Amino acid sequence: MSTLLIKQPAALLAFLKARPAMWIAFLAVAAALLIGLLLVHLIGVPIGDAVAAFAEGAWGSPYAIAASINRSLVFALVGLGFVLADRANLTNVGGEGQIAIGGIVATAVSLYGHVSDLPFGLAFLLPLLAASLAGGLWGGLAGVLKARAGTNEVIATLLLSFIAVWMVYGSVQSVALLRQPMTHSNTLPESLEIPDPTKLPLLTDDYSMPLHSGLLFGFALAIVVALVLNKTVFGLRLRAVGLNPLAARRAGIAISASVVGVLFAAGALGGLAGACMLQGEQYSLKAGFSSGYGFDGLVVGLLARGSVVGVIAGALLFGFLRSGGINMEMVAAVPTALVVVIQGLIIVILAGAALSMQRWEVER
Amino acid sequence: MSVEMAAVFIGSTIRLAAPLMLSASGELLSERTGVLNMSVEGMMLTGAFAGAVGAWATGSPMLGLLIGVVAVIPVALLQAVLSITLRANQIVTGIGINILVLGATTLAYREIFGGRSRAEIPGLDKWAPPGLGDIPIFGDQVFQQAWLLYLGLALIAVLAWVMRYTALGLALHSAGSAPRAVDKSGLSVNTLRYGAVLFTGMMSALAGCFLSIGDIHTFTEGMTNGTGYLAIAAVIFGNWKIGRTLLACLLFGAATALQFQLPAMGIEVPSALLIMLPYLLALLAVGGLVGRQTAPAALTIPFVR
Repeated sequence: MSTLLIKQPAALLAFLKARPAMWIAFLAVAAALLIGLLLVHLIGVPIGDAVAAFAEGAWGSPYAIAASINRSLVFALVGLGFVLADRANLTNVGGEGQIAIGGIVATAVSLYGHVSDLPFGLAFLLPLLAASLAGGLWGGLAGVLKARAGTNEVIATLLLSFIAVWMVYGSVQSVALLRQPMTHSNTLPESLEIPDPTKLPLLTDDYSMPLHSGLLFGFALAIVVALVLNKTVFGLRLRAVGLNPLAARRAGIAISASVVGVLFAAGALGGLAGACMLQGEQYSLKAGFSSGYGFDGLVVGLLARGSVVGVIAGALLFGFLRSGGINMEMVAAVPTALVVVIQGLIIVILAGAALSMQRWEVER
Repeated sequence: MSVEMAAVFIGSTIRLAAPLMLSASGELLSERTGVLNMSVEGMMLTGAFAGAVGAWATGSPMLGLLIGVVAVIPVALLQAVLSITLRANQIVTGIGINILVLGATTLAYREIFGGRSRAEIPGLDKWAPPGLGDIPIFGDQVFQQAWLLYLGLALIAVLAWVMRYTALGLALHSAGSAPRAVDKSGLSVNTLRYGAVLFTGMMSALAGCFLSIGDIHTFTEGMTNGTGYLAIAAVIFGNWKIGRTLLACLLFGAATALQFQLPAMGIEVPSALLIMLPYLLALLAVGGLVGRQTAPAALTIPFVR
C-alpha cells in the first residue's frame, strides 16, 4: 500500500482526497515549517546550517533517534488521552500537570516504596502503576468538578496543571519530601537518583541507543485506545455523550460516570507519560520536570483529529522536531522557541481550518 | 503585624492585582458578548513585550505603552477572525495563540537583547492622587503606584458605566445572552463581538505593560506565567459581574502578596505552596464553592445568521 502511494502520485492524491482532514493537517504542518525556515533566515542563520544541526539532533545518531522516539512516546501517551476525552467532547489540557503528578509519584514510589527487591519486574512496574493511578485521580478530579458543579474542564485541568507543576517544585525543595539529603551547602534541589531495578529496562543492550521498554506499553495502549474508541460500548457511549448529552441521558447513559471515567483515563495516560520520562530517561526529579511536554502532547492530540494513527504520526513529528530544535539552539544558535512558534502556528491554522474541513467532509 | 507592614501588604496586594484587574475586566466584556477569550495570556505577553521593547528603543515609557497597545491589535484580530468569522473552537484558538505568542516573544527577545539580558528599561512614573498621597505611611505604601493603575481604574469605571447605563451596554450584554434578538433588532452580533475582543486586547496589553514597564522595569521570557488564566478564573469567580470580578482579582493579588509578606513576618511556609495559592483559590472558585455560576447563555457559541 505505502510503496504504491510513493510510486504513483495519482494514487497519493486520491488517498489524500478521500481524507481531507489529513490533507489539511499535512498542509498546516508544511506551512508552519516553511514559516519556521523563513524565521531562521530572518534571524540571519544560514538555512543550510540550521537544517544540518536540526537533522543531526533529530536523527543524526542512534542516540539521537532513541531520544527522539522516547520523547515521542511521552507526546503520544498524552495525545491518546486527549483523543479519548475529546471523543466525549471534553478538552483535556491538563497533560502538563498529569505528567508532573506522575513524575512525583513515580519518584516517591521508586525511592521510598521498598520496591527495589521485588521480583518479576515489579520494581519498575509498581511505580509506573502508582503514577498512572495518581495521574488518573488528578484528571478525574476535573471530571468530578465538571459533573458536580458544571466547571469547564479546560479551566479546571489548566489550573490543576499549574498547581501540579508547583508541587514538583515544592517537593524537591524540601528534604522532608523528595529532596536528596543535604550533604553540603550546594546540594542541588532535586531528588536522589532512583535505584537501578526501578529504571525501565532498555530495549537495546547499551546506552548508545537508549530506547526504553515504556515504548512497549505505549504501543499496547495505542491499540487499546483504538479498540475502546471504535469497537466497544464505552467508546460508543463517549461519542453519544459528546454529540448530545441530553439524548445520551435519555438513552440511559450515566453521563457523570462517563465524564469522570474518561478524564480519569486521560489523566492516567498523562501520569504514565510522566513515569516513563522519570524512570526511562531522567532518573531523578527536578523542578521544571514536565518541560512543556504536556502542551506538546495536547497539540499532537489536536492534530490527530480523533485518530490513534494520527496521534502516533503527530507524536513522532513533534518528538523529532523537539530534538532537532534543541540541537539547533546548541549548534546553530537558533533559539528552540522557534519550535514553539511552529507548534503555535499549527494549532492556529488547524483551528481556523476546522470549519472548512467540516464543510468539506459534509459535502462529500 | 505592625501598621507599616499592613500598609506594605495592602500596597503590594493592589500592585499585584492591578494587571489582573485590567485584563479580567477586558475578559469580562468579551465573555459577556459570548467570546471566551482564552488568549488573554498571549495578549498580555504581547503587551508586556512590545511595551518593554518600545520603552527601551525610544527611551520613553509613554511611547512604549502606546507601542504595546498597538502591537496587540494583530493578536486580537487573529483571535477575533478565528473565533468569530471562522467559528473556530474558542478554547483551542486561545491556547494556540498563547503558545504562538510565547514562542514569538521569546524568539524576538533573544534576537533583540541577545546577551544583554535584563536590560534596564525606562519605566512608568509613580503617582498618587493628591491628598491621598500625603497620608502618613499609607500614602507612600498604598497610593504611590504606577499611574497606569489609576488610568486602568478609570477605564474600568467607564466600562462599568457603559455596560450598565447605555444602549451600547445593553447591546453588548445581549450579544452574549440573546444574540438572535440583537440580530433581529438590526445590530450586528459579530461587529459587537469584534469590538469586545479588540477591547480585551487593549486592556490585556495595558495589563502586560503594567507588568513589564510599570512594575519591575524589565521583560523576562514568558513573564506572564499564567496571569492571563488567573484573569479568566477571576471572571468565573466573579460570576460575570464587574464588582465581584475585581474583588476576586484583589483576593488573588493578596494571595500572591503573601509570598513576600509571610517570610518578612518570620512565618515559614514553603514558597511553592504560596505560589500555587492563587491557582488553588481559583480552582476552588470555579469548582463551585462560591455558589453556582451563571455564564452568559451564548458563551463560546459562534453566531450564525
